[in-house]
Amino acid sequence: MEADLTLTISPMSRALLVAAIGSLALLLAFPPPKASRFALLMWGLAGLAGMAAIAAAPSLDLVILLTLAIALLHAALAGRRSLAARLRAPALAVALLGLGLLFTRLEGPPILATFAAVGLVAGLAAGLGVLPYIHEFDPEEITAASPIVWMAFLGPILAIAVVTRARDLIPSAAAAFGAMLIGLGLLNVLWGSLASWLTEKGTSAWHYSFMADWGLVLCAFGIQVPDGHAAALLVLYSILLSRLPLYLWSRQPLREKVQTDRPLNLLAAAMLAGSAPFAGFAARVLLLRGATQLYWPLALVIAIGLLLWLPPSLRLGRSLGQARGRQAVGAGVALAVSVAIGLYPQPILSLAGL
Amino acid sequence: MTVAAAVAAWAGAALIVLADGRRGLAAGIALIAAGFAVLAWTAGDWFAGAAVLAGGAVCAIQLLRSGRQDWGLMPPGSTARLISAMVGGILSLWVAASVTIGHGIPLRFASLSVLVLMAARLLQGQKALPVLTAAAGLALALAGASALGRTSPGLAPYLLAAVIAAGASFLPVAESRGG
Repeated sequence: MEADLTLTISPMSRALLVAAIGSLALLLAFPPPKASRFALLMWGLAGLAGMAAIAAAPSLDLVILLTLAIALLHAALAGRRSLAARLRAPALAVALLGLGLLFTRLEGPPILATFAAVGLVAGLAAGLGVLPYIHEFDPEEITAASPIVWMAFLGPILAIAVVTRARDLIPSAAAAFGAMLIGLGLLNVLWGSLASWLTEKGTSAWHYSFMADWGLVLCAFGIQVPDGHAAALLVLYSILLSRLPLYLWSRQPLREKVQTDRPLNLLAAAMLAGSAPFAGFAARVLLLRGATQLYWPLALVIAIGLLLWLPPSLRLGRSLGQARGRQAVGAGVALAVSVAIGLYPQPILSLAGL
Repeated sequence: MTVAAAVAAWAGAALIVLADGRRGLAAGIALIAAGFAVLAWTAGDWFAGAAVLAGGAVCAIQLLRSGRQDWGLMPPGSTARLISAMVGGILSLWVAASVTIGHGIPLRFASLSVLVLMAARLLQGQKALPVLTAAAGLALALAGASALGRTSPGLAPYLLAAVIAAGASFLPVAESRGG
């Protein structure tokens, strides 16, 4: 038995790791109120180590086992939910991904490849915590122990690892795999944006907004054309470099129930809604172009879905409160980075090999 | 030999589904580890089998070393669990032996049944210990299933699974801290 191990990181994973490092640097430079820089650094480095391990894993077997190891370590953190509640969804994701991978290896009727696709898509959804496997969420829980870690930090790299390998593993079921991703994506766009708008608790609204963004990413991955991949990457950049820092900066104003309508809040709302000239706008244009290439009515459905981002984004922008000092500068930097990516995304796309 | 090993792995998974006590869970994880170790050994992967056995043994011993020692087998209201253990086994056997073709029926059956039953246990579990044990069983099954690929998986999945199975039993069960 060979014991050698080749470690390589795909260009897309490399690009995402760069975004994750950027996100951590932004939060360390401008930490949220009452947050300890040391704690941020420790949790951030631990998350980055997990992401790098998943990105460098040479096979899907190792990706799944590493995900299980990370899920166990994450569940061991002291949170408000019980350990069983914290571990259940990520471990179920591992079981479903494992079953999907197992079905890719079984020889028999063609339906086995479709079962494999179902297992991989269901496992990915459970790992990310999107519909129909929403992780139990406690608005008062510390972010490091909450499901936001899976949605906003570890999820992007796990999604890239699963989606890029799945196409090679089940070429005969690639269409079914893509269709399931698109269906699940549209469901999450609808549910995430409406729930983010209508839910009572502000922190839950942010949780659902991550879910809506993931809906776009799943749609983009399902559209198996280069524009779809580029759109997915840009939405993932928006999650890591815009939505995650803004969520962390909004935690304290949400506790204090402070809501303001200053220019910074409105600009943040525009960024979260994917308006021009922010990164989300470029991602949406690429997504619609890709959907048009695949099947134009799909582009129409996605375009209607994109309108649902506006009301929740205004709400989330207000929840940043009256940003002052470091937090205001941090929000300004996040806005500037998003504008830069939105106006000229090519360096990021080139880094990802797109 | 391989058939007995596959049945042992399924029996271990069924025990984890049916038990709430430490002894029952320890016996379950030990059976799963022994089953996959024998399946690896019969395929000529001696180090892989040893790694799986060691990981499962550490988990089982750790379960037996601490806490209240009881079997907790089939507590009241376990009918659904019993049915899922049986149906999971029968469906896995049908898929492994009848729906799919090629060599390695015992390994296919063991991998499929343990993955399905551990997923069921994860969904049912409300307490930390059964969920952690199910995660350990999941790791061992994933390592075993890696041998079904067309290329040799190497030692890495087995070693990682052994570390996960052993480590799961040492995790501090920390609960409830807000902020």
